Amino acid sequence: MARYVMQRLLAMLLTLFIIVTVAFLVIRLMPSSIYDDPTISAEVLDMIQAKYHLDRPLIEQYGIFMKNVLLKGDWGISMKIQPNIPVFQVLGGKVPLTLFINLVSLLASIPIGLVFGAFAAIKKNTMTDHGISLFVILFISIPSFIYATLLQYFAAYKFGWFPITYTVSDMASVKYLSLFLPTLSLALDPMAKVARYMRAELIESLNSEYILLARTKGFTRSKAIFRHAIRNSCIPVLNIVVPMFANVLGGSLVVESIFAIPGMGSLMIKSINANDHYLTIAILLIYSLVSLMTVLVVDLLYAVIDPRVRMGGKKQ
Amino acid sequence: MSKNNPILQVKDLTVSFNAFAGKVQAVRGVSFDLNKGETLCIVGESGSGKSVTNKAIMGILSKNAVIDRGEILYDGMDLTKLTEEQFCQIRGKRIAMVFQDPLSALNPIMKVGKQITETLCVHQKLSHEQAKKRALELMAAVGIPEPEKRFDQYPFQFSGGMRQRIVIVIALACNPEILICDEPTTALDVTIQSKILDLIKEIKQERNLSVIFITHNMGVVANMADRICVMYAGKIVEFGTCDDIFYHPAHPYTWALLSAMPDSESRERLFSIPGAPPNMLMPPKGDAFAPRNHYALDIDFKEEPPFFKLSDTHYAATWLLHPYAPRVEMPEELKRRIDRMVEEDMEYECK
Repeated sequence: MARYVMQRLLAMLLTLFIIVTVAFLVIRLMPSSIYDDPTISAEVLDMIQAKYHLDRPLIEQYGIFMKNVLLKGDWGISMKIQPNIPVFQVLGGKVPLTLFINLVSLLASIPIGLVFGAFAAIKKNTMTDHGISLFVILFISIPSFIYATLLQYFAAYKFGWFPITYTVSDMASVKYLSLFLPTLSLALDPMAKVARYMRAELIESLNSEYILLARTKGFTRSKAIFRHAIRNSCIPVLNIVVPMFANVLGGSLVVESIFAIPGMGSLMIKSINANDHYLTIAILLIYSLVSLMTVLVVDLLYAVIDPRVRMGGKKQ
Repeated sequence: MSKNNPILQVKDLTVSFNAFAGKVQAVRGVSFDLNKGETLCIVGESGSGKSVTNKAIMGILSKNAVIDRGEILYDGMDLTKLTEEQFCQIRGKRIAMVFQDPLSALNPIMKVGKQITETLCVHQKLSHEQAKKRALELMAAVGIPEPEKRFDQYPFQFSGGMRQRIVIVIALACNPEILICDEPTTALDVTIQSKILDLIKEIKQERNLSVIFITHNMGVVANMADRICVMYAGKIVEFGTCDDIFYHPAHPYTWALLSAMPDSESRERLFSIPGAPPNMLMPPKGDAFAPRNHYALDIDFKEEPPFFKLSDTHYAATWLLHPYAPRVEMPEELKRRIDRMVEEDMEYECK
């Protein structure tokens, strides 16, 4: 197991290296240069360009960047958003906020989705099932920023249950309360997806012979389902967690702006618009790292749930 | 019907399914007795209602199934009227079932040991250690080598035949009185088939089980049965002892089934029954087999034949046995086959 994890971590480093390389080269393809302020005189501009090596060919710039990263761990400085501050210092306080709303919405949506999906499957073709399925379709087909707006308008503005935007406060309760709506609006879509998959998988399991066998053993239907079908149905559901998380990360870019959360999402949009390239690369790196970690965790979970995966490689 | 004491009686059982297109009449008034210690084979082609009959006995019909009529009497109870809770006291404990496909009957992600012991823990309230001990004994008894090691393995580490043995262990765990085998060898290859059949015979003898054996393989029937029910289109068309059915078949459907059985002597092209079974959404009037029956009489298309008695043990539902019916003999080729079978049996017994 430890060896497997090490292999995966090495592969992850390689992936990150490729992502950073592609990001570095592709971002430069965007029109307009980093410094094109007409009020700066040509001499000063030349000096700035020289200082940041912007007058060299792109490949050479990449070489310098990589050398700094690998040898000194220096990911460059922010040029526009907070000039001359190292990129990770700029990101510092923002990463936890973004990770919080993304991971909490993901982690909360999976069990809730499983419960609703299981419920719909067991009550297949009843009003309960139709009701759940209706909401599932609604939540999947409408993008998260629409709920974000609706929730903000009704729950926060009209009824005043929650703060309208992110509130900085010493009181943790106020802070987390203001993060509730954005987290909820991000959680609805993954919740619906998990419910949909769980329903389909469980219905399949319910028709399987091993459930019949469990019933012939003398279990009631619900006991047979609980002991034999639920865990089996969770395995395929795990498959969708990775793409789902990528989706949540994407959604949070917009949702953060709606609720004025000073997280990575809004910073990323700002840094791209401002041509703050090193900052953009750093943000992409964090997003990639988080996604790759999710993939790794999901793959390890497979082994925990499914003995066929765990023992597949072993000799009998 | 029988002078023995029946352990299970099915009377006029009628089961239908509410399907999208209407009511599918899967079982239409089936009656039979299962005597203590005997093996009753139910034969018939796919869709003849064999499995549905037995699922009704086990109380595991799917949700859209309705028992319209009839009763299943066991130990003074009518199984069709039990609540789910009451049924759970019988299933697994007193009536157990072996499934067709051992590859899909076991939970793929649960250790086989646990799948065996959970029955014991539910019904006999054994402790974990006691249950394990009993499971290991049973595993050894059905011929699973190294039961200690196998106990902690998963189904995917077993071969098909070994998995079927595990399914049999699960069925036997609580010492049931009745064992229902729903085509237990269909999914296995031929060499394993005979081993599993021998195993079922052996445990039946040892434990004095009463067995209902469902199959469409006449070869298996000959090997296993004490008595045979032949089913077609949701009805029993002929029943009798093994000898009655194999040596003196009376219903044209039984003739057809026996003619369609390959044997090593025949030189002719193997007989196949023309046409397809009727659509059970609208079962035909009269004898359901009539449209495919070479010997069908006019009345077969109008009225259902009652059972005619051939001997104390042997009954068949065909108008051909009516005193007014024209005398029809079974096909020549089948007669020759039966003569050969009788000869072979004699030789076998002389040896």
